[in-house]
Amino acid sequence: MSSLRKTREDIAINLFSAIISVIVFIITVYPLYYCLIYSLNEGADAAKAAIYFFPRKFTLDNYKIVFRENSIYLAFGMTILRTVVGTLIAVVCLTMASYALTKKNLLFRKFYIVFGLVTLYFSGGIIPSYLLYTNIHLINTFWVYILPNIYQFFYMLLFMSFFKELPEALEESARIDGANDLTVVFKIILPMSTPVIATIALFVGVWHWNDFFHPAFFITNEKLMTLPAVLMRIMSLAEAQQSLQKVVTNYSKSSVTIEAIRYATFIVAVAPITIVYPFAQKYFVKGMMIGSVKG
Amino acid sequence: MSTKNVTKKNGIIKIFLDQLPLQLMVIPSVFFFFIFSYVPMAGLINSFLDYSLTDGFFGHSWAGLKYFGELFTDPVFFLSVKNTIGMSLIKFVFTFTAPIIFALILNELPFLRLKKLTQTSSYLPHFLSYVVVATLWIIFLDPNGLINNLLVKTHIIGQSIEFLAEPKWFWWIGMVIDCWQETGWNAIIYLAVIVGISPELYEAATIDGASRVRKIISITLPSILPTVSVLFILNIGNLLGGGPVGSNFNQSFLLGNAFNHSTSYVVQYFIIQAGLNQMRFSFASSASLVLSLVSLIMLFSANKISEKITGKGIF
Repeated sequence: MSSLRKTREDIAINLFSAIISVIVFIITVYPLYYCLIYSLNEGADAAKAAIYFFPRKFTLDNYKIVFRENSIYLAFGMTILRTVVGTLIAVVCLTMASYALTKKNLLFRKFYIVFGLVTLYFSGGIIPSYLLYTNIHLINTFWVYILPNIYQFFYMLLFMSFFKELPEALEESARIDGANDLTVVFKIILPMSTPVIATIALFVGVWHWNDFFHPAFFITNEKLMTLPAVLMRIMSLAEAQQSLQKVVTNYSKSSVTIEAIRYATFIVAVAPITIVYPFAQKYFVKGMMIGSVKG
Repeated sequence: MSTKNVTKKNGIIKIFLDQLPLQLMVIPSVFFFFIFSYVPMAGLINSFLDYSLTDGFFGHSWAGLKYFGELFTDPVFFLSVKNTIGMSLIKFVFTFTAPIIFALILNELPFLRLKKLTQTSSYLPHFLSYVVVATLWIIFLDPNGLINNLLVKTHIIGQSIEFLAEPKWFWWIGMVIDCWQETGWNAIIYLAVIVGISPELYEAATIDGASRVRKIISITLPSILPTVSVLFILNIGNLLGGGPVGSNFNQSFLLGNAFNHSTSYVVQYFIIQAGLNQMRFSFASSASLVLSLVSLIMLFSANKISEKITGKGIF
C-alpha cells in the first residue's frame, strides 16, 4: 500500500498548502475582525495602546452613537430599502424574461437574445448615461438606483441555463390542469429554482448594498444617500473630522473617538453581507460555474 | 403571392397573440435594454457634436473631430493613459495568475475542515464594498498602521513608509488589494473544474509512480488549461478597466490623492472629471468612445489569436 505511506514530498506539500491556507484565512478575516474589536473597545483606550486580539475595555457606546447619528441611521434604512426593492424587482423580472426566452417556439426569440447579448460587449459608458438620466429626470430620485439595473443579460443567461435543466413533466401536467404562463412561472418554476434565485439574489443584493457609484454621482439629495456613500465621506479625512467631531462633542462621554466610530460604521455596513454569504455559498459556487461555462 | 404574404402576416400576428403572456414577459427586458443600454451607446455620437445641456435632445451642431483633436493633445489625458496601461498590466499579470495558483494549492490540502474554512473566508473580501476595502487599506497602510508596524518590527524596512503618498507604490498597492479581494472568488471556477477531473487519471499516475508535483504539472494543469484560456480572452476585453477585477476607477477615485496623482490618475477618472465635474460632455464622450473601441479591438483580437493558436475562439 504505497499510496498510504506518506513520502517526504507528501509531508512537504501538505505542510506548504496548510501554511498558505492559514495565511489566506488570517489576511482575509483579520482586517474585519480588527475593526470589530476596535469598535467594541473604548475609543480613548484603544488609541492609547494597540489592541490585536480582544477588546480590552468592552463598550457598545460607539454603536450607540452610530445609530443616533441621523445621517448614518437614515442611510442604513435607505440602503436596506434600495437592496430589498432592487433585488425583488430584478429577480421577478429576470425570472419572467428568462423563462419566456427558454421557450423554443417564442416568436422573435433569436432577435431578443442577440439584442441582449450585444449589451454584454458594448456600452455607452458613464457620460451618455448621465445625460440620459438627466433627460428622463431620473437624477436625484430613488429610481435611479433601481430602473437602470433591473435587467443584466448575464443574469438572464444564468437563469436560462438553469431553466433548461428543469424537468418538463411538471410544467406539462400543470398546463393540462389549466394553468396559464404566469401561474406556471410563479407556482412551478420559481419554487423549483431556489439555487439559481439564491445566487442571483445574492449577486444583485450585494451589488445594491455595496454600490457607491450611483449615490456619489447621480444623487445630491441627502435623504437618498446610502451607507457606502456615507462611508465614503467618513473616509475622506477632513470632512469626517468635522462632522464626526460634532457628534463626539455632542456625546457626553469623552472616551469615544472618531476612529472608533469609523470602525463601528464599518461593521454596521459589512455585517449583513458577512452574515448572509456563507449560507448562500453552496448556491453561488454552482452559479459561478454555470456562468463561466456559458459566458 | 400577395395572398400568401397576407396569410403569413396574419399567421405571425396570430402566433404573437397566442404567445401574448410570454411575449409580455420578455418585452420589458427589450424595452429596458433599449433605454438603458442602447440609448447611451447612441449617445456616444455626442463626441462628434457640440453638446450642451440647454440644447435639449436634438439640435446640437456638428463638431467633427474637434474633440478628438483636443483629446489627443491633452497632456492630462496622456498621463491617464500611461497610468491606465501600467496599472492594468501589473494587475492583469498578478490577479489573473493568483487564483490559478491558489486553486492548485488549495486542491492539494488534505485537511477538509481547513480547506472549507479557507475557501469561505477567501470569498469574504469579494463581498465588501470598495469603499470599505479602500478605507481598510488606508488604515492599514498608514505610517503608524498595522502593515508598517509589522514590517518595521520584523526589520524588513528600516522606518515606516507613506505608501499612499509615494507615487511609485500606487500600482503595486492596487495589485495587492485586487489579489486580496478577488483571488478566492476567482478561484471558484478553477476549483470546480479541478473537482471534475476524473480520479482515474490520478490513480493511473500513482501506479506509474508519479510524484505529486508531477501529477499537478501533467494532469491538473492541462485539465484547467481550456478554462484558463477562455477566461484569459474574456478578461482581455476588460484589461483597461483593471483586468479580471476591473477596479481601476475605484482605486483611482478612492485611493488617489494629490501626492500620488502622477501614478493614480486613470482614464476612467479622467472621463468622469471631464464630463461630470467640468461639464465637457462631448470631450468626455470622445475619451469614452476611444476607451470602448480600444477594449473591443483587444477583445476581438484576443479571440482571433486564440482561434489561430487553439483552433477555436469563444464567439
